[in-house]
Amino acid sequence: MTMKLAEALKVIQSVPAHAPPLQVALLCGFTPLHLETFLRAHLCKLFPGRSPNVQTGLYGDLIGNVQRVAGVSAAAVVIEWPDLDPRLGLRRLGGWEPSQLQDILGEVNRSCDLLQSGMAAVARNTPLVVCFPTLPLVPVSFSPLARASEFTLELRSRVASLSAALSHLPGIRIVDPQRLDALSESRRLDVNSDLSSGFPYTLSHASALAEVLAGLVLNPQPKKGLITDLDDTVWRGILGEVGVQGISWDLDNHSQIHALYQQLLHSLAASGTLIAVASKNERSLVEEAFAARDPILRETDVFPFEVHWGAKSESVTRILGAWNISADDVVCVDDSPMDLAEIKAAHPGAECVLFPSENPQAAYELLERLRDWFGKDKISQEDGLRAASLRANAELLHGIKQVSPSAVGDFLRQIDGKLTLSSQKQPLDSRSLELVNKTNQFNLNGRRFQEAEWQNWLNAPDAVFLAVSYRDKYGPLGKIAVIAGDLLHGNGVNSDSSGKRRLRIRTWVMSCRAFSRLIEYECIRWLFDKLDVEELEFDFLPTPRNTPMQNFLQQVRNAPAEPHCHLSRAQFLQSCPASSHVVEESPNG
Amino acid sequence: MAELESRLVNSFATVFPELEPPEIPSVSMGSLASWDSLAGITLLSLIEEEFSISISPDDAAGLVSFGLILDYLRKLSPEDAA
Repeated sequence: MTMKLAEALKVIQSVPAHAPPLQVALLCGFTPLHLETFLRAHLCKLFPGRSPNVQTGLYGDLIGNVQRVAGVSAAAVVIEWPDLDPRLGLRRLGGWEPSQLQDILGEVNRSCDLLQSGMAAVARNTPLVVCFPTLPLVPVSFSPLARASEFTLELRSRVASLSAALSHLPGIRIVDPQRLDALSESRRLDVNSDLSSGFPYTLSHASALAEVLAGLVLNPQPKKGLITDLDDTVWRGILGEVGVQGISWDLDNHSQIHALYQQLLHSLAASGTLIAVASKNERSLVEEAFAARDPILRETDVFPFEVHWGAKSESVTRILGAWNISADDVVCVDDSPMDLAEIKAAHPGAECVLFPSENPQAAYELLERLRDWFGKDKISQEDGLRAASLRANAELLHGIKQVSPSAVGDFLRQIDGKLTLSSQKQPLDSRSLELVNKTNQFNLNGRRFQEAEWQNWLNAPDAVFLAVSYRDKYGPLGKIAVIAGDLLHGNGVNSDSSGKRRLRIRTWVMSCRAFSRLIEYECIRWLFDKLDVEELEFDFLPTPRNTPMQNFLQQVRNAPAEPHCHLSRAQFLQSCPASSHVVEESPNG
Repeated sequence: MAELESRLVNSFATVFPELEPPEIPSVSMGSLASWDSLAGITLLSLIEEEFSISISPDDAAGLVSFGLILDYLRKLSPEDAA
């Protein structure tokens, strides 16, 4: 159900007067009118507490609007056919003669080239959401409407090429027409409105398009983990009743939807999503089923297995502990409404969804929802390492528990930990920003950044950036920490009254997979040594979940963590343990 | 009739939130500074959505006050006006 215009206006009017602004550009060649209103309203809903301001450009000059955009957190580019050649619109009369079709194709080619170079330039600093023509082509070709002409196919092919070329560029997100089709089923072109005001969309289409655009501007962080039941979920049948050979996931047994579910879980695991099992079953039977029946979902895709007859909520508690993430980051899938309700009562933040095993259509729609919840822009190296590193982490923590606290450093030296540090600020490292925006526990202040905001800050000459990767004998963890701040000199620009050269750390995050290795001390040691600063200032703020950061600051400073707390070189040297790692700087700087 | 007028008042209140409901029946494009061409298009689009009607461009040009719009809607829905 798309948003109505009246609702959109009310949503916009309900934004608090002094909410911090969020500048977003809407770049199109038509009159933005209600699309602007709907976009603003959807942004208001997606960014509560902010006051979205939608900047627009000049009518009929999409390419110029793209070239001129500046000072926004993100931009949405909406291309319609007349932007590629005005003869493909209703408001210009350049002719639809057969002899002109080749010339139209040439003009479309030229416009596509200009748009490609313009958008590629903008996307270096500003995230762009791009939507290709959503309206039907005007009857310009001489063919009957049901038959695709050579002209229209070439036209669509050129636009598809542009779309594919742009999709490779970082910072550009392309609207998927399939998603828009699902939301905007009714008539899209409003001829009256286009002729009278230059706004070509029906209200329902404008609302649907704005919803998709706003969702891509937000670029939500994916959920991190999926906890699944087994019986009548991963497979059809109750394992304890029908036995290992009685469960199924195939067409012959009318259980193909379970195979598709397994296929999706296997794909999610390969994309870095954590998969765990919470099942009321006999452990030995489940092990036998995975060994003997060779399901599409591999045993190695799953960590941990919680298979017993205890409460599901307790299984979820243990799984969250093993993953070291919060319930807000997980989706639980089960065919039992009662078990889901029990999990939800104990973990209100978790998404708890029913697997409709008797309704393949509904189950298929669940697969789409799961893909949406766990969808990400691209697969990073860390995504491939996540499950394996969690297993290794469990092994490491077990090792640490076996030694006395004073011997932890010796133990860590035995695991051959190696840190690789990079201070390269360009080009934008999406993994670093992802870490900043999704880490909760070891997080200095919980501050999140839009891409453009992050890039603009790092571009400042006194901004310091440090990304930390880690590996040890248990395997690589990939990029696990990010520190960013501003150098404050003793004199000149950014000077302060103390006269000391200082670093103000504004953001510091570290993945929970890297806990217990004293990596945080190595980071501080590097900052003091390499930046030659006398003091660190922390933009610390307590959040509901950053207790590990609070504990670390308390430990290293020997005083409670508080906003703008300081740590001098002398203080650090008193409290820091001996180095347990090899530290190397990335050859790329 | 009262329901038609009340729904129209609500539409005006949504587009012109600065107006108090008692002021709305007397407003016109000439008397309300915020009723510019853009607000006018938004208002008529909202009315089309609210009343499930389509207003032709010729008709739209004459709909420049609350009273004229109310009369227009009454003609489209005579049963409501009775």
